[in-house]
Amino acid sequence: MAQVVFSTWGGDTVDNRNISGEPQAVSYRLPVVFDSKRPLRAFMGWDGIILFDKDVDVPAMTAEYMKRVQTLFCCGKCTPGKKGTKVLMDLFQNVLAGKASEADLDTVEDLAELLKNCKCTLCQSATVPVFDAVKNYREDFLAYLNPVCRPRVTPGRYIHKITAPCMDKCPAHIDIPKYIEAIKNYQMDMALATIRENMPLPAVCGRVCPHPCETACRRKNVDDAINIMVLKRTASDYERLHNILPPLTPKARKEKSVGIVGAGPAGLAAAYYLALEGYPCTIYEALPEGYGGGMVAVGIPAYRMPRTILQRDIDIIQSVGVEIVYNCRVGTDITLPELRKKHAAVFIAPGAHTSKPMGVDGEDKGYKGFLTGGINFLRDAYLGKPTGMGKKVVVVGGGNTAIDCVRVALREGAEMSCLVYRRSRKEMPADVWEVDGADEEGVKFEFQVLPTKIIVNDKNEVTGVECVRMALGEPDASGRRRPEPMPGSEFVIECDTVIPAIGQDMDLSFIPADLGIDITKWNTVVTKYLPLKDAAGKDLKDSMGNPLSRTLMTNCDGVFAGGDAEIGPLTVVACVGNAHRAASVIQRWIEEGDAYLSEQDIFDDVLTYLGVYDKNEKVPWLDSAERANQKEVHGSARAAKGNYREVELGFSDSTAQAEADRCLRCYRMAMVVV
Amino acid sequence: MVTLTINGKEIQVPKGTTILDAAAELGITIPTLCWLKKVSTTGACRICIVDIAGVDRPMTACNTPVKEGISVTTSTPKLEETRKKTLELMLVNHPLDCPVCDAGGECKLQDTCYSLKVDKNSYGADLERLPIRYDWKLLESDPNRCILCEKCVKVCREIVGREAIEVVDRGDNTIIDTMTREPLDCDFCGNCIGACPTGTLISKPFKFKGRPWTFDVTPSVCAFCSTGCQIDYHAKDGRVERVTSSDDGFNRGNLCVNGRFGYAAFNSPARITEPLIKDGSNLKGASWDRALKTVAEGFKDAAADSDGNAVAGIGSPRVTNEESYLFQKFLRGALGSNNIDSEARLGYLPSQVIQWEMLGYSGGTFSMDAIEKATAIIVIGADLKAESAGFAYRVIQVATKNNAKLVVAGSRPSSMNKFANAFLQCRPGSEAWLVAGLNKAVLAEGLASAGNLTELEGLKSSLDLLSFERITEISGITEIQLREAAALICSGGRTAVIYGAGVIRAADSRNAVAGTIDLALLTGAVADTGAGIYPLDEKNNTQGMLDMGICPEYLPGYRTYEHAAAAFSSAWNRAVPVVQGKDLFQIIDAIEAGQIKALYVMGSDPLHYMPNRTRIMKALQKLELLVVQDLFLTDTAKLAHVVLPAASGAEKSGSFTSADNRIQCFTAAVKPAGDARSDADILTALYSLVTTGSAPVQVSLDVLHHEITTLSGLYSEVCDHEGCRMGRSKNRTATSVCLPLAPLVPTPAPTNHAFALTIGSILHHNGSMTTMSENNMLVAGEAYVELSCDDAASMGVVSGDVLTVTSDTGSVLLKARLSEQLQPGALFVPAHFREAAATTLTDSASFPQYVSLSKG
Repeated sequence: MAQVVFSTWGGDTVDNRNISGEPQAVSYRLPVVFDSKRPLRAFMGWDGIILFDKDVDVPAMTAEYMKRVQTLFCCGKCTPGKKGTKVLMDLFQNVLAGKASEADLDTVEDLAELLKNCKCTLCQSATVPVFDAVKNYREDFLAYLNPVCRPRVTPGRYIHKITAPCMDKCPAHIDIPKYIEAIKNYQMDMALATIRENMPLPAVCGRVCPHPCETACRRKNVDDAINIMVLKRTASDYERLHNILPPLTPKARKEKSVGIVGAGPAGLAAAYYLALEGYPCTIYEALPEGYGGGMVAVGIPAYRMPRTILQRDIDIIQSVGVEIVYNCRVGTDITLPELRKKHAAVFIAPGAHTSKPMGVDGEDKGYKGFLTGGINFLRDAYLGKPTGMGKKVVVVGGGNTAIDCVRVALREGAEMSCLVYRRSRKEMPADVWEVDGADEEGVKFEFQVLPTKIIVNDKNEVTGVECVRMALGEPDASGRRRPEPMPGSEFVIECDTVIPAIGQDMDLSFIPADLGIDITKWNTVVTKYLPLKDAAGKDLKDSMGNPLSRTLMTNCDGVFAGGDAEIGPLTVVACVGNAHRAASVIQRWIEEGDAYLSEQDIFDDVLTYLGVYDKNEKVPWLDSAERANQKEVHGSARAAKGNYREVELGFSDSTAQAEADRCLRCYRMAMVVV
Repeated sequence: MVTLTINGKEIQVPKGTTILDAAAELGITIPTLCWLKKVSTTGACRICIVDIAGVDRPMTACNTPVKEGISVTTSTPKLEETRKKTLELMLVNHPLDCPVCDAGGECKLQDTCYSLKVDKNSYGADLERLPIRYDWKLLESDPNRCILCEKCVKVCREIVGREAIEVVDRGDNTIIDTMTREPLDCDFCGNCIGACPTGTLISKPFKFKGRPWTFDVTPSVCAFCSTGCQIDYHAKDGRVERVTSSDDGFNRGNLCVNGRFGYAAFNSPARITEPLIKDGSNLKGASWDRALKTVAEGFKDAAADSDGNAVAGIGSPRVTNEESYLFQKFLRGALGSNNIDSEARLGYLPSQVIQWEMLGYSGGTFSMDAIEKATAIIVIGADLKAESAGFAYRVIQVATKNNAKLVVAGSRPSSMNKFANAFLQCRPGSEAWLVAGLNKAVLAEGLASAGNLTELEGLKSSLDLLSFERITEISGITEIQLREAAALICSGGRTAVIYGAGVIRAADSRNAVAGTIDLALLTGAVADTGAGIYPLDEKNNTQGMLDMGICPEYLPGYRTYEHAAAAFSSAWNRAVPVVQGKDLFQIIDAIEAGQIKALYVMGSDPLHYMPNRTRIMKALQKLELLVVQDLFLTDTAKLAHVVLPAASGAEKSGSFTSADNRIQCFTAAVKPAGDARSDADILTALYSLVTTGSAPVQVSLDVLHHEITTLSGLYSEVCDHEGCRMGRSKNRTATSVCLPLAPLVPTPAPTNHAFALTIGSILHHNGSMTTMSENNMLVAGEAYVELSCDDAASMGVVSGDVLTVTSDTGSVLLKARLSEQLQPGALFVPAHFREAAATTLTDSASFPQYVSLSKG
């Protein structure tokens, strides 16, 4: 087990230097080997320093850290940051050159104090590990000042990464503080350009993203998170409402092409980034023209994601050199091996478009009024096909898809739309605002209720669903208390339609077994990964239980996978982030014949695993600017039959500017020594 | 309202107020360096830090909103120490070239260091010097002096809408520069210089002209465009060496290139500094006595022989109201002639006669700040920055900061397109159709204001005769575009309508203007709850000149001869003719016909701006007496028999009336150049010589104002505020009469010429005056013909090629400039440059004019 030599991380000093007894046991959420090759010798960042290797040259590391902060990331936009880090950088360089004095070292503390007045956290947070180093390794610094026997600088291999809590938490790693600052500065075009660097569907993720970034917003430690999602929407709306075409210039067109399965968020994102690099991309999409967007199109109703606005994002992606072949189902209209022959690389991103069965009596009998699943219902409604829905609709499930189904049912003309969920309202996996939205539209809720049987008449038409009430038992693996049926509480909800919306599944039947592409037991595609392990030898996993750092190439060379089919059903933003990485790896594969992760890719994963946001951090700030929330259309008329007009109305530009001004710009730099 | 205490004093302020502003209300000053009221907050300098009880770090007062119940302390030993140390950091490696720094004596950094007693530096760093940008035009940037307050960047972006400069690079190398690091290419308005608290961005023409405190500073009004910006002339040794503007004034310190740098025209060596009299074929210097006598006698004789019919005068939109009044008084009173007109005849005057008929007033409805309260704006046929930059700045503010919708319409795109929600680009010459289409769309969408409109039915039926299909066919703008635009311009219920040369000088200008005013009526723009209608003119006092009766139709105050000639006659004790005189075009006709023999041209160059230059040249040469009173030997002056040197806007006192009807008074900053005299002095002398034959009696401005007020009934007599540039008010009775459109007839497609030419203004010049400013010429030094990239490609033309532009009236040679925004088939030539003689190509005042283009 790798031993920590010294650490100030998180404010707790661990000092295992020069000890006689047992070293203090401490572990951090870091891999012992940075990239599966080079051991992680030291880590330096906003919360302190961690040394795993006693031979690391701390003064040299400190000098390098400050130099990188000042020359690569300091924005220069405040006096203490711009000048303070310059003074510190020169000071440490002078230490290494033996030109400084001991008194100079005392300036570090003074500056660390003064830099607390910085505009943002980058330079300010940079003084934390630097001061820790000077304070705890003072002798090492003084050694450099000794004219008699000045040590030689031990060369180190340093890798740095700029991050921020929101940026780290965003699966697409959008440079959120940067685009927010641009909005604050009335530069909507710059904001959108920044967003597009990591998110080619800004109109979509400005509307339907569950915005994990906001859960890691440091402003939350003052009052409420910045409304990051709606700010993204504002930048995108501004472009659309001003008829601006984004100035995107793809690199010179290359010869080798990439074939992509599925025009969903992952397929579109991979295509966009590859096309910008000059690679012609062809997306094969099973749905007809006009229905690109994958689950965003057919899984998210138009009142949340208006069709024309989604199409605009797709059009822009196509404008950089992406072709979409519609009505082309891979496996039926063209085979995967054919795609392999046609293209230098293939990216599989078919999504998760099938519904999971709900496990209730009668669901396999083909009753009239028992629909095949929420996803299919939403798709049919979206495509304008007959859905088989009657007038009284019961939807079973607690996720966003279930909510979408009850709300769409109203818009499809249901007189009664009822959601049945086996746990309580606050345990619903659906986003709170979606549940509230359904509530406002007049959806009925039956919580802590389990459907047990479909009731039909003699014509096999659904007339009701028999349910049993649930009581909460012991917590299960997910930490939520397990609901258990209460005997004798059975009752019937009268209805003519039952829609199961329990969960989504992938249809990977188009992947021929002989290609060697492995499928997990959760029906996701297996991709290659770095065997990162922590100090206890445990494999590092992401929040979905997948290996933390994946190259996204399948076990079949040249075939990559991404999106829901690789991660497991998740979010648009996760699929985009995953596909963006796939695009980078595909490019390396095509150009260098090696599908590998860059240091920055790995560092992204390492930081996500470590965690950048600290919900316990005390952030001193005056809470005098409240979070702005977008306006929405109110009243049940918004869910009247056929009314798919957008419910949420976004921000005015001035509201957005003021909201952006709340951002604390929580940049910080991490650096490792390997 | 939020209640808080600052330094123990309680105050209530509106929610959202910053601590800095709340403190200011209590009279508590918190030091700042990067804060600039007119732009968004930056929080860069960290000098304005304050303590708030319960918050464990100092907060910056400039960008922290107040909160109920907080207790703020603005000064503690710790805060003062932090401020001092922050300043010490700011001064690390700051150059010690204060003795030669342009900001020396007016440097905010110096002042702040002084007031915070910063006299040492505890910090140091290796010295690296960044290169000074000597290669920019008009501006110089020394990034070593920069404190990164970002004021310049924000003014450029948020006020001027240009985004020419940015914060670039990282760390201590962070500087203000162009994004590409190429030399600056921008509006050259110099508002960044005005905003710079240090000597980082400085005016090159001002460099080494003197220390700031050695100048006499005179508040004045800009004498270039119709915005009427409030400026300060900085003069020394009889020369204006700098123009600045205070952020506290009407225009918030924002100027354009003309306002800030155009003063160089006043100092031009080309100024005429003595009277000139034609001797054979040459103009030779003469005494004022001789010159005035020659002029007085010449005109007196010509008038006497013809009952005033053989004389005429062309007035000037450059001179003061008082001078315009004296000019028409000389023509009407002394010479007994109503043959008096000006260049406003080419467009502005006819448009304002229509506006007068429909609305009961000419010029803007409200003062232009009403635009900042608009919820929607439509700009039709105007290049705001070229025609009247103050309007551009207002529109940018309201569109970007106040959520107003902006629609830009016209044949040519402009710098406002960037902020527009829609751009309706019509084919050149179809402006009247475009406007008709907008009116039709507003009515069709049911968006017309429910105001009390007269003749609305007539307008409706005239529009019923037009189909959207036909409008699309002629203008190129679709019904959907028109309907979407109609929805935009009616959104929010407070609309502003701004129209410029593209409407005023449109092919069917009567319908275009009437339709535009109809649109203002339909959208409620001219109602009390609206944001107004604003006609634009490029020059500073066109509106005032018309108010003062420089036109044959009206006496001062738009009073008719029938009703008011007697009053004027009796006040002046001279017989004012009661018949309407000849207008500008009729004057030319009459010169050609030999009826008009003597022409007095004041501050005007008809040979430069009148259509069909060749014809005008011949006509002017036919005159028996041509007198030109000007700053420069203009094309017309070169033909004159007598040239009288006049004073510039900085060299005289009086008032100007801006396009939005603000009447602003000012006093002279310097004496007239050489022996030049103000137009008022010359006119007063001539009036005396003609009427009494005696030496002039100098009349004070107050007496003159009283006379103007009494006779015109238009301007109030005194300024509402002591010595200020604002406040003289103007009477009006507003009406709301819709005007049915006359049948629209499409401009016939020319058979012999393929290109539609527009001659107009560009933002780097104002009239021809600024072509005499070496500063303006440095950034826009010559005429050109702008053509679309498509046309250039098909003709094989590259930028800089010399092209021959030929019309039915003549041809000129111009260098090609390519435009990605101009539509194919359209050409544009800037109007300012005399040498280009572009009016050789035109045969009327409207645009487009049809021309052919060939290489070489």
